[in-house]
Amino acid sequence: MTASPAFAYRRRRNWRQALVAWSFALPFVVLFGAFMAGPILVSFLTSFTDMRITDIRSPFGVSFIGFDNYVDVFQDPAFRKAARNTALYVLFAVPLTIGLGLLVALGLNQATVRLRNVLRLGYFLPYVTSIVAIAVVWRLILGTDAGLLNGLLGGLGVKGPGWLNDSRYSLWSIILMTTWRGLGLQMIIFLAGLQAIPSELYEAASVDGAGRWHQFRYVTLPMLRPTLLFSAVIASIGLMQFFEEPFVMTQGGPLDSTVSVAYFAYEQFSFGNYGYTAAISYVLFMTIAALTFLQFRLLRPKT
Amino acid sequence: MNRSIGVVAVLTLAATAVGIVGDTVRGEGPQPARPAAAEGDITVWAMGTEGENLGVLADAFMEEFPDVSVEVTAVPWDAAHDRIVTAIAGGEVPDVSLIGTTWMGEFAVLGGLEPTPDSIDPSQFFEGAWDTTVVDGVSYGVPWYVETRVLYYRTDLAEEGGFNQAPANWDELTQLAQATVDGGAEYGISLQPGGIGAWQTFMPFFWQAGGEIVDEENNFTIDSEACVESLTYYDSFFEAGLSQDTVSDVPVEGLFADGSVGAFISGPWMIGVITDAGADPETWALAHQPTEASGTSFVGGGNLAVFEQSDNKPAAWAFVEYLSRPEVQVTWYETVNDLPAVQAAWDDDALAGDELLSAFGEQLDDAKSPLAIPTWEQIASALDGQIEQVTVGDTSPEDGCQAMQEEAESIGTGL
Repeated sequence: MTASPAFAYRRRRNWRQALVAWSFALPFVVLFGAFMAGPILVSFLTSFTDMRITDIRSPFGVSFIGFDNYVDVFQDPAFRKAARNTALYVLFAVPLTIGLGLLVALGLNQATVRLRNVLRLGYFLPYVTSIVAIAVVWRLILGTDAGLLNGLLGGLGVKGPGWLNDSRYSLWSIILMTTWRGLGLQMIIFLAGLQAIPSELYEAASVDGAGRWHQFRYVTLPMLRPTLLFSAVIASIGLMQFFEEPFVMTQGGPLDSTVSVAYFAYEQFSFGNYGYTAAISYVLFMTIAALTFLQFRLLRPKT
Repeated sequence: MNRSIGVVAVLTLAATAVGIVGDTVRGEGPQPARPAAAEGDITVWAMGTEGENLGVLADAFMEEFPDVSVEVTAVPWDAAHDRIVTAIAGGEVPDVSLIGTTWMGEFAVLGGLEPTPDSIDPSQFFEGAWDTTVVDGVSYGVPWYVETRVLYYRTDLAEEGGFNQAPANWDELTQLAQATVDGGAEYGISLQPGGIGAWQTFMPFFWQAGGEIVDEENNFTIDSEACVESLTYYDSFFEAGLSQDTVSDVPVEGLFADGSVGAFISGPWMIGVITDAGADPETWALAHQPTEASGTSFVGGGNLAVFEQSDNKPAAWAFVEYLSRPEVQVTWYETVNDLPAVQAAWDDDALAGDELLSAFGEQLDDAKSPLAIPTWEQIASALDGQIEQVTVGDTSPEDGCQAMQEEAESIGTGL
């Protein structure tokens, strides 16, 4: 009935292996638990409480109020405005960055283009520059009364609009700036994707008599499908959370035209409404998760 | 009868006993708010210029109280609010800190601040400034320095347009704005149409019309005739094109100095700023806020508070009391140009001799603070939004006031 020596040895070895594995994983597990999983769990629980800044000395004294915060979020006209702004922003900025990024990548993928590397660097540079620095500079460019752009327009005899301080233009100005900034990353991703397409496919297509458009439509695009999925997911996850642009350039104004959901959450947090802020954040998180899921369904590789 | 005599006798005995005990231990052990008992270390947080220069006063204090060692920590304004919140939550507080007047409600309700001892006389401070320390009837700390808003206007442009005196009331303020436009300004007066802090320019008009934010029971009374009147008046500058309805990206000092803007309402720091921007001292003057039911302005500034979790409150209060002495307040004015919150300090030649400053001194006698409640920042932000809806958007002043009231009620006082 006793276990064979070989079995005992194997068990001991398994146990030792597990120990070694866990000790390697431990630094990550501890840090992840303390600084990611823990706070995520706490913030999720917080979203069901009425916690305010005045409760922080006795955080366990807060009362659970079920889904009240979530109900309030959806009934809050300020949140709806922020959600509308964010939707509009994502709806335009995501296709614009992807479309223009692809266009630039196609252009720079031609072997005939001179100074390819300089141009690539030029397009990519905004992406690796601090977004706050970019926003500060663009605020100066887009200033109404002393801005660079309106100065140029003034030289042509055109009175430029209030790019950032007129509610009809403010969000669009920010969308344009984001597109300019985000384009570089998309370009790099698409360049990589384009170079992975075997040239035999194009040769075969041209033998079959496909022109440039047909080659793009029936070779390039289908082959780029996984790349497109990646681009769309990365772009929408990033842009759904846009915050720095309104924070630096407009403080959400004028007339709340540039308040994003993330900015709205930030405002509520600074007012000390912690429970409410947590609820807003989870609504944003759920929306991003749902959108990502949808994109995976729509753009998954066809088999 | 007998019983009540007995009670009185016991009370008297108790009081005497306390007195005796108090006398005997004085100078030996910790005594609440007695400068004589001040000893040990205290840490003081202050922000901005105040934080950089407070060491000067701390050194002078330590000369007078050799048993106390004061350590000043400079904290940037941007980080100050969150740092204080974290400090209170974690129990790792300084003993004394400079507190922005609009944060008082929050920190007091949080239980972070110690009530002001009776040994400090409220009447030595400007009333409006003292009110910023009072949260739900209890004072937490003292006003340290103050600022209030007055009217800056271009006398040369106004005269050119046929207006030769300081505007006494609302009608005259409109006339002044119009006159500066006639005299060559693009806009008569720069008023903030919306955005962060617009309420600081608007609220004085609300108070001047007789409005109050809350009644005695802390119920909001924003939606009132005074609100509609003042908001209509405020909006009239934008309607008539006398004020720019977008926030310009050119700072107001430049526009004022070159004559594009005829007037603006702001605080004492702008004297230096517009001078640096090149405004000729001969071309402009300061005026009291226009007077309707009152000529009230906004009072802001910084308060000094002692933390509830401080373990050296006697020394902390001694330092606060020291900073509130009129002569120390004058020294402080000479060091960093902070206007004294203590009225007696204004009699000193350093301040009384300055004509421009005395405009602020006079205005301080009629200046109000916003409500010291924990939710004030959020309510202020709602006011900013509604002001913009009226001045820039299509909302009527009536609807704007109603919306202010509704938003304030749904936010609540948080007390």
